[in-house]
Amino acid sequence: MNDFLQAVGDGVFIGFVYALLGLCIVIVFKASETFNFAAGEFMVIGSFLFYVLFFDLGLPLAVALPLGLAAAGLVGGIVEWFTIKPLLGRSPLSMTMVTLGLAFLLRSSVQFIWGSESYSFFLELPDITVETEELLFISDPIWAGFFSMVTFILVLLFLFRTRWGLAIQAVSEDQAKSMAFGINARFILLIIWAISAACIAVAGIMISNFGALSVEAASVGLRSIPVVLIGGMDSIGGALIAGIIVGVCESLAGAYIEPMGLVGFKEVAPYFLMLLVLFIRPYGLFGTVRIERV
Amino acid sequence: MLAIENLRVVYHDVISVLNGISLEVRDGEILVIIGANGAGKTTLLRTVAGMIHFYDGDVIDGDIKMDDVSIKGLDSADIMKRYSLTYVMEDRPIFEYLTIEENLKAASYSRWDKNVKNDIGMVFDYFPALKNTLNRRAGYASGGEQQMLAIGMALMTKPKLLLLDEPSLGLAPLITEELFQIIQQLNKNDITIILVEQNAHAALGIGDRGYVVELGRVVLNGEASELLKNEDVREFYLGAGEGKRKSYKDAKRYKRRKRWL
Repeated sequence: MNDFLQAVGDGVFIGFVYALLGLCIVIVFKASETFNFAAGEFMVIGSFLFYVLFFDLGLPLAVALPLGLAAAGLVGGIVEWFTIKPLLGRSPLSMTMVTLGLAFLLRSSVQFIWGSESYSFFLELPDITVETEELLFISDPIWAGFFSMVTFILVLLFLFRTRWGLAIQAVSEDQAKSMAFGINARFILLIIWAISAACIAVAGIMISNFGALSVEAASVGLRSIPVVLIGGMDSIGGALIAGIIVGVCESLAGAYIEPMGLVGFKEVAPYFLMLLVLFIRPYGLFGTVRIERV
Repeated sequence: MLAIENLRVVYHDVISVLNGISLEVRDGEILVIIGANGAGKTTLLRTVAGMIHFYDGDVIDGDIKMDDVSIKGLDSADIMKRYSLTYVMEDRPIFEYLTIEENLKAASYSRWDKNVKNDIGMVFDYFPALKNTLNRRAGYASGGEQQMLAIGMALMTKPKLLLLDEPSLGLAPLITEELFQIIQQLNKNDITIILVEQNAHAALGIGDRGYVVELGRVVLNGEASELLKNEDVREFYLGAGEGKRKSYKDAKRYKRRKRWL
């Protein structure tokens, strides 16, 4: 029983990080119907930008973190400007293909600039390890879950409580209509990509904080695929719940199935779960029910 | 106010939709544009509103002038801000997943002033039916309510020139009549209106002047009352011919008549 609780607890914390990743994919998908396959690379770039500011330049965390996120957002914006914007109004599939290409381009750029070796990465956050007789939740994943949730909530507040958010929702629903009502759809898309890239960077920094940062960390970004598909491509709540589901599933697989001799099953379990969900609900658990007037 | 000069628009580099259309909108009038399906009416409005690029169309010739200044090639948001021109797309351009109130607020995005609340009140004065459904998702509203909401949203942008693309699409005759009365009322409150319609009778009934568009050209124009009496308009758009049966061949107007003017 304690093993189980331990595994679920660990899973939930890492699940929050996955939920944030999922959210970043979902908002981009809602706005431009594009699946951002380059999420993992954005994650690595964001983390490296933060690394440069915090470890290389030695800025204090309170300065380096916002600056790093802003820089990551800027990269997201620039990427959108050059690759997505020219394709506006075309088939969403072509944009999705572009993000696939982007993934390779960004990955090689990172390798070119920072090489493929690992950089040690450690944030001195206060130790909030929770320890009881049977259970042990270490500090780093708790912080990761905490920061991810804070970011998640901030993004939600921005989306649902501000005028900008309303405009973003409008653009998400229909670009042409929102343009007709004077909403600058191109600019809104730019904003969304920037926000998405900045939030992905938060997830990246948190994941890097578990150990080291290297270009290989981009593969964690792939974990966003089961998150988004299980939750439903266009559901924000779905991203949160699916993120936790994926985190828990991964950690349970690690605790119970891997000891049976299936080493590495942990990495695959979310994809099995994804297949199962897709068999039953092809639009994901919380995919949109289309409005039909009766 | 608005002048369109010899405008030619091509979609996807090959499909020529507007073939040198020219027309003029005077201050404070209701201008009615009628024409068959595919005549290029919607394309015309899209081009004027600066949205043609979004649909992969290109202006290859001609000019659009707003008070003698060319607005060709400007972005839709720019045109709206600078010239107070709002385009209400056809088929009820509302955001179905937002509530009616959110729809109205979203439409006021282009202006940042504090009067938005008052203006929502003004929209309800025009369309009292919307008031009771304030917090409902717009997608569940009835067709008439949706069209009223669409025009209400356009009002939130404080237009001086309103382009309406087939507001009567899919509405019951009574609702259409109500809607057209409201359009007339808007016009009295200093909004110039371009009304594109299939329902030629009703539209010419409230319009000041009218243009008949065919195959991307203007083939006839004049006072709305004159157009209503025009023999060809009556036959092709009002369905009131001389009363005897005709073969389909005769009904192909462009074959029957090489020249209109």
